Amino acid sequence: MFDRTLFSLPGVKRILILLACISLLYAALVFLQAFALASFVVHCWEGAYFLNELSWLALFFASYLGRQLILYAQDALLESFAAQTATTLRKSLLHSLFEQGKSLVSKQGSGSVSTLVLEGIEQVETYLALILPKMVSMFLIPLVILIAVFPFDWVSGLIMLLVFPCVIMYLVVLGRLAKANATKKHEEFYQLSSHFIDTLRGLDTLKFFGRSKAKAKEVFETSERFRRTTMATLRIATLTGMVLDLFSTFSLAAVAIMLGFRLVDGSLALFPALLVLVLVPEYFKPLREFASDYHASLDGKNALRSIVDIIDASQKSTQERLLQPDFSLETWNSGSKLCVSDLRFSYENHPALKGVSFQTLGFEKIAVVGYSGSGKSTLLNILGGFEDPHQGIIQLQGSLATTLAQPAWQRQLMYIPQNPYLFHGTLRENLCFYTPNTDELTLQEALSVVGLKDFVDSLDNGLDTIIGEGGRQLSGGQAQRVALARLFLDKTRRILLFDEPTAHLDIETELELKKRMVPLMENRLVFFATHRLHWLDSMDKVLLLHHGKVVAFGTPEEVRASRTLAKLEIPEEVFS
Amino acid sequence: MIRLFTNDTWVKPFFKQYKKPLALALGLGLLSFTFAAALMFTSGYLVSASAVAETIFMLHIPLILVRVFGVGKPVLQYLERLASHDWVLRMTSGLRVKLYTALERASIPGRSQRRLGDILGLLSQDIAHIQNLYLRTIFPLVIAYALYALFLVFLGIFSIYLALLMAVVLGVVVFVVPLLSVSWQGFYQQQIKQLRNDLYSELTDNVLGLGDWICAQRGRDYVTRHEKHQSELSDLKRRMRAIARRRNLLIEVIFCSIVLLMCLWAASTFALPGQTGESSHWIAAFVLVFFPLIEAFAPLSDSLVEASAHKDSIVRLNEIPAPPNEAEIADSASNVARVSSLSAASLDRTLEVENVAFSYEDHAPVIKNVSFKVGPHEKIALLGRSGVGKSTLLSLIRGDLAPQVGSVRLGGVEVFELGDQRPKLIGVIQQQTHIFASSLRENLLIGNPQATDKELVEVIEAVGLNEVMQRLPQGLDTFVEEDGGIFSGGERHRLALARILLSDVPFVLLDEPTVGLDPVTERALLETIFTLLRDKTVIMVTHHLSGIHYMDRVLFLEKGEISLEGKPEDLRKSSAKFQELLKFDYT
Repeated sequence: MFDRTLFSLPGVKRILILLACISLLYAALVFLQAFALASFVVHCWEGAYFLNELSWLALFFASYLGRQLILYAQDALLESFAAQTATTLRKSLLHSLFEQGKSLVSKQGSGSVSTLVLEGIEQVETYLALILPKMVSMFLIPLVILIAVFPFDWVSGLIMLLVFPCVIMYLVVLGRLAKANATKKHEEFYQLSSHFIDTLRGLDTLKFFGRSKAKAKEVFETSERFRRTTMATLRIATLTGMVLDLFSTFSLAAVAIMLGFRLVDGSLALFPALLVLVLVPEYFKPLREFASDYHASLDGKNALRSIVDIIDASQKSTQERLLQPDFSLETWNSGSKLCVSDLRFSYENHPALKGVSFQTLGFEKIAVVGYSGSGKSTLLNILGGFEDPHQGIIQLQGSLATTLAQPAWQRQLMYIPQNPYLFHGTLRENLCFYTPNTDELTLQEALSVVGLKDFVDSLDNGLDTIIGEGGRQLSGGQAQRVALARLFLDKTRRILLFDEPTAHLDIETELELKKRMVPLMENRLVFFATHRLHWLDSMDKVLLLHHGKVVAFGTPEEVRASRTLAKLEIPEEVFS
Repeated sequence: MIRLFTNDTWVKPFFKQYKKPLALALGLGLLSFTFAAALMFTSGYLVSASAVAETIFMLHIPLILVRVFGVGKPVLQYLERLASHDWVLRMTSGLRVKLYTALERASIPGRSQRRLGDILGLLSQDIAHIQNLYLRTIFPLVIAYALYALFLVFLGIFSIYLALLMAVVLGVVVFVVPLLSVSWQGFYQQQIKQLRNDLYSELTDNVLGLGDWICAQRGRDYVTRHEKHQSELSDLKRRMRAIARRRNLLIEVIFCSIVLLMCLWAASTFALPGQTGESSHWIAAFVLVFFPLIEAFAPLSDSLVEASAHKDSIVRLNEIPAPPNEAEIADSASNVARVSSLSAASLDRTLEVENVAFSYEDHAPVIKNVSFKVGPHEKIALLGRSGVGKSTLLSLIRGDLAPQVGSVRLGGVEVFELGDQRPKLIGVIQQQTHIFASSLRENLLIGNPQATDKELVEVIEAVGLNEVMQRLPQGLDTFVEEDGGIFSGGERHRLALARILLSDVPFVLLDEPTVGLDPVTERALLETIFTLLRDKTVIMVTHHLSGIHYMDRVLFLEKGEISLEGKPEDLRKSSAKFQELLKFDYT
């Protein structure tokens, strides 16, 4: 029932011991409360004047209040423990992400990573604050009550003792069943809601073909189908609750009837009978409370595992990287050499790079071309150190490495994708992202170099305009210009990676941008992945990729002259 | 909150629908708590009475009752869960259709889609929130109020004073504390929600720009910043939980006082001085009866607080214009029938755009003055920078937007007046064709639901997807995954083309159909498109010049007007701009 990941958290053992003590104290008060209440009732039943029995009521009140105060203290204690643990976990997780998590994000999607950081941590917090005490009390409280009942009435004690393992067994079996069911239901729900969103997203298409009205019926039918399957699963899933309830009310009824029989034949007095009757619901209460939070505990458990896994993996890979001792690089210069050999990389079962080798010296501008899916982006990701190659050797200025995820390398490079990401913030913050200490004069110079000056002048707030998500939207061409400005401002970065920077731009914008971009590539090592072949004229070399392999590498003229194109059935005109 | 609920058109109407299952669900809920209380009541009586009974047979009514209540309570609760979920899911089906219909009416193709993804996700979550609102707030609240009334009536039978006293004390838990909770916690709750949303969008924003943080090696800066905001959030949460904790303590004290009251009342009413009599048995019964009810009353405050958290969902849904009721839909359907008497075949195939001007609401005009004429089978390219209004012009041509000045006529009829007839005349291939997460067949049938499998296979062959088709394990029945994940960019466009061919429209609008494709794929796709569409009128919006040689005429759109127009071969000779662009694109 306890998962091992839990014990890896700092301070958890101390908390568990504390919880155990609290539970025992709580159980004692439960017993005391029942004892006081039964005493009062029995005495009055026997004919005592009720005002003479007020001390029993006072004891009842005191123990009831005591229970609540213990719960209060327990809550406060666990809350601060959970909050502390959550903070520690979140910090490690964020460090793992923001220092080397790009491949993780591209694998899992940015949405699910953000959800893990915010909701996952919250689930862990709930798991620790709410589920942990319930898990402890589920075992301890019934045990104490049971021990207390035996001296008063061993028959009832026996009934309760026999029922308990049945309940646990039943819970385990049903828990598995419910888990399978819940997964199934969750999948169905996911399908349903994605079907609904899918339909809404396709509304344009449906309208274009005049099918949008007819689709409403399908939305209803899919939803109703989901209702029927959900009800089928619910019929089983809610059984857990019912059977638990049945156990508890049924044992209450059984105890009451058994008590009745033995009271009639005189083998038992009223006091123990009433005491047992009050204690039976308390005996089952912790179990029922745990069962009702079972799913929350599953969520928390899973979230904890994923978070700890990510942190461990990143720590491991950091250590592996440190195994390459004193990896250092000088600033990239005309004599620097990069040589990669036999780079391989696959996404799940699908190989993207099947042994890529090439070398380059100094400030070369290399166009990376090839069909969609030939491995251009993957190669750029590896060159940027965002993905580690699965195989292959990289020689950098004479040092050997298995990956380019080296701070010393990444410090020198700038990666410009098709849609450079603009953060929500002012235009100035975005421009100076790599160089926060830029002075105004340099910034103005950068604006004129990349051709953003007129645009900035047209804005009411100039450089302080909020852009990005929720702010002023920049066009694709303007976003590229911001990226170029970053490049202009950070003179220390001598290595540039471009991934199809102009693919989505209109031809006139592209033409203008090209005029600004080419001068910035001077005296830099450039890898430029593109479909638009007019760029080749501005490049020193062409690296032609085909199905994850280099099929040609040389100057544009050499590649054009080679017979590779004919072999790949690439029409000559495309390259002419 | 109350005003919100009275003006609401999304949550309330479903109370009226499916009235019986709703009453059933609530009735079962009420009954199951009543059974739980009755079980304790009878057990208390049974045990006390047994202690003095001569034989067990004197007690056979309470014995039976204990069994009935003991078994009945969980069974009733089980049935109540099923009934309430069933009702809520029925309601959800209705809600989904309502939302779909509302959005279907409100959307203008090509306009609303840009940031739709997020909003759709939100709306779909809102539906889940309304489900929770019913299951976790409205139902328990109604049941608790009913239980409260029932309990008071029950006590009133024995003592009107006790009932009145209890009405006040229990009323504090049922009415006063929940309302106070909402106002105590509501403030924090709003702030927490706001902070959480901010934090979420900030985090997502920065995760999207992760590459830059890593390259700039400023990751640590971000972590520090995030922790600062996070600690504000944690602080608020801590305060809110502290309030909840204290409130729960208060509620428990009240519950305890109620039990004490019951003890004192029962003992003073039923105890006989110095002896045990028939009435003494009721003491235990009355003392125990309240305990099971605590479960019904304790969660009220939390669930009311939770309900106020769903406020945004209700607001958001109510901001969407509610769809018209069915009578109006039927009315508009007959309207459509009238228009459709203008049969597609009878139309002359000439498109005339005459002095058209258009602006969005208060903005500066996007289209200032555009006129051109497209004859049957003509192929027109519409060129211009991004944001110049090419897509708006397409929407005007398709009649999704009506021009403020001038007219767009198809065979002499205003396009937007053609209404539901338009899909039979005009087809569109968008930059990003939507491919539904269903089978290949269903995706194609959108073009023409009556098409036979043979026709589908023919079309697949025609658009050059034959090889792809052979790769698919289940042929036409293959699930194409979300967003057509099993297809490459070029293949998706071919699929869109197949739909157009199936729908057999005379006019086809192409909206930048080759963006992002590699040059070889692009050439092949353009060739297929223009071979298959040679008998149709085609207007292609594009932002570069590949495929220009398929065109009969080129129109350049600049600053809301047509700045350049002519046959490509003429422009090649006469226009310097065209020459420069051509040189650039065909290096």
